[in-house]
Amino acid sequence: MPVTKILTAGIGEVDMRGIGAYRQRGGYKQWERVVRELQPSDVLDLAEKSGLRGRGGAAFPTARKWSFLPSDKQLRYLVCNCDEAEPGTFKDHMLLEDAPHLVLEGMLIGAYGIACHHAFIYIRGEFKRGYEIFCAALEEARNAGYLGRSIFGGVYDLEITVHRGAGAYICGEETGLLNSLEGKRGEPRLKPPFPAVEGLYGMPTVVNNVETLAYLVPILERGAQWFASVGTERSKGYKIVSVSGHVRNPGNYEVALGTTVREIIELAGGLRPGRKFMAVQPGGGSSACIFEEHLNLPYDYESMTKAGSMLGSGGFVVFDDSTDFVNAAYNLVRFFAHESCGQCTPCREGGSWMERVLERLVQGRGIPGDYEMLLRVSGSITGLNLCALGDSIEPFLKSVMLRFPDQFKSRVAAEAGRQW
Amino acid sequence: MTEREKNFPALLERLAPKCSELMARYEQKRSALLPIVHLFQEHEGYVSGEAMAATAEMLEITPAEVEGAVSFYTLFYRRPVGKYMLQVCRGLACTINGAEDIMAYFREKLGIGHLQTTDDGLFSYEEVECLAACDRATCMEVNLEFAYDLIPQKIDEMLAAMRAGEYGVAPMAQTDVPGRTWSIAADAQIAFGQKSQGAVEVEDPNNPGGIGDESGTIMLDHLINRDVYLFGKTTERAVVEARALVETIDERTNHAGH
Repeated sequence: MPVTKILTAGIGEVDMRGIGAYRQRGGYKQWERVVRELQPSDVLDLAEKSGLRGRGGAAFPTARKWSFLPSDKQLRYLVCNCDEAEPGTFKDHMLLEDAPHLVLEGMLIGAYGIACHHAFIYIRGEFKRGYEIFCAALEEARNAGYLGRSIFGGVYDLEITVHRGAGAYICGEETGLLNSLEGKRGEPRLKPPFPAVEGLYGMPTVVNNVETLAYLVPILERGAQWFASVGTERSKGYKIVSVSGHVRNPGNYEVALGTTVREIIELAGGLRPGRKFMAVQPGGGSSACIFEEHLNLPYDYESMTKAGSMLGSGGFVVFDDSTDFVNAAYNLVRFFAHESCGQCTPCREGGSWMERVLERLVQGRGIPGDYEMLLRVSGSITGLNLCALGDSIEPFLKSVMLRFPDQFKSRVAAEAGRQW
Repeated sequence: MTEREKNFPALLERLAPKCSELMARYEQKRSALLPIVHLFQEHEGYVSGEAMAATAEMLEITPAEVEGAVSFYTLFYRRPVGKYMLQVCRGLACTINGAEDIMAYFREKLGIGHLQTTDDGLFSYEEVECLAACDRATCMEVNLEFAYDLIPQKIDEMLAAMRAGEYGVAPMAQTDVPGRTWSIAADAQIAFGQKSQGAVEVEDPNNPGGIGDESGTIMLDHLINRDVYLFGKTTERAVVEARALVETIDERTNHAGH
């Protein structure tokens, strides 16, 4: 199956950062059509019929998310989530830097779809270059009259504010993001109420991922049917998969959902010569590994879930037989422990203690019982936290521990004694 | 009073219009906290106590709320850092592509460890979480500009260019002399006898009142010299109060002695 190019069309070939280049490729035509010809409900309708689901990780149906907004409140906000920090995911980074106008047009259409007049984009602090590129694009679009007051001479007003983060993975979680946007610590909020009811400044708010909003542009252009006709039964359309790890040509590959895992690895040039496939983490750092027996599975939301993992953000890390899975698990657990905001005890304490246990395993200083303890502790973190970060500690660790128990057990020191 | 402190009122005056503009972008001005702090850091190289106090005043929130927020984010440095902030990715995709060797190479070449600054104040070094550039592992950021596909030879060239002032990314503003580390958490770790990975000869841990600071003088010095703890107080008053505190402690010790 060939790689498709919808959002990624032109990226790496043409410089699309200027508004002229983007318009030459048909840019902002859909935005003009939306404002001149369509009602917000038409956009919602298209989003619904297309079957578009959130591309940031949670895969929630986009139209349904929008429909949760209470109809009696006029003041509402759209926030575009560009705080991409899921380990192994680098698609939003690319879209922001290489196709800023596409991201912006998607945001404009999304904002119109929920009939809001002030939208925000939260850009990860590390993406300074992307932030500058996007700000320049926004300025061009503003000068062209694509946002501001009475867009295209009509009655619709829309303002967009660019907000730059400052280094915190947890701000990718939507309520953490909203707190950060309000100038607070990026700590997730208790849900419900969900942002659609009480979000930014206590008003109804929709938080959508960059890729999700960007797909609105081709959906408007080619129709909901076109998008819905691709993919599997419940996973419609396309997805940018960020392939990295032990493949020959790592990069972003846009594929129809339902492309097999094996085909995606082959798209990225396959494994390096002489190497043997061990595992792939198909949905970012929060997902469990899948293995050889899953290679022929279609890459869609349902199949990944059924295989015990998830499609998540589309961060697709391939591991060959040179991988030290104890070190890999340590790396991810350390990441989550480091990024835990500290509000919930299971995540804060569980994560950092597991990090210490894994650290001694990596160094070959494990003590008998560490293997069982890790499984027990990770299992008792899941499901007991405000947000999904705590729940993300277990999947990868558990999947590789059950698959490669010897790698872990062999790290127990021969003459074990408590180190501390 | 340091040069930076002397210049601060002028800087504040210069940045005030920009700050007002940032606040106007949001329905509630507190939302401008991150942008304003970014702005101060851009000009001072780190987030100084004065900057946080000024931010609190502009946003009409307490200094504690500002510092609480600022301390949450790893890209805000509450103490001076080097002119080049080297942030090497330690994410999983980089790690399985040799990031550990790259990090070891950096530590060796710079003679410092994670979260530390070189003695000449030129480089600060940090090992950071996934930078979302896994297709070009191993990667890093220099003053938040990406560098990809790192190999030792490339690192040598980059460091040489930075030392010569010819690197493609501008150095950060540096208005104060950086200490060994800018991370308050790492400082505390050093105080507890934990060296950060690859640390070289941590002899003077600059102990901020942790174990080892038995007399409390280091903590006291910290209180006096770091305005961040002293919002709402004049420096004079702080010094007087601190002296009074020392005297009280002395008195108690004397009593105990008798």
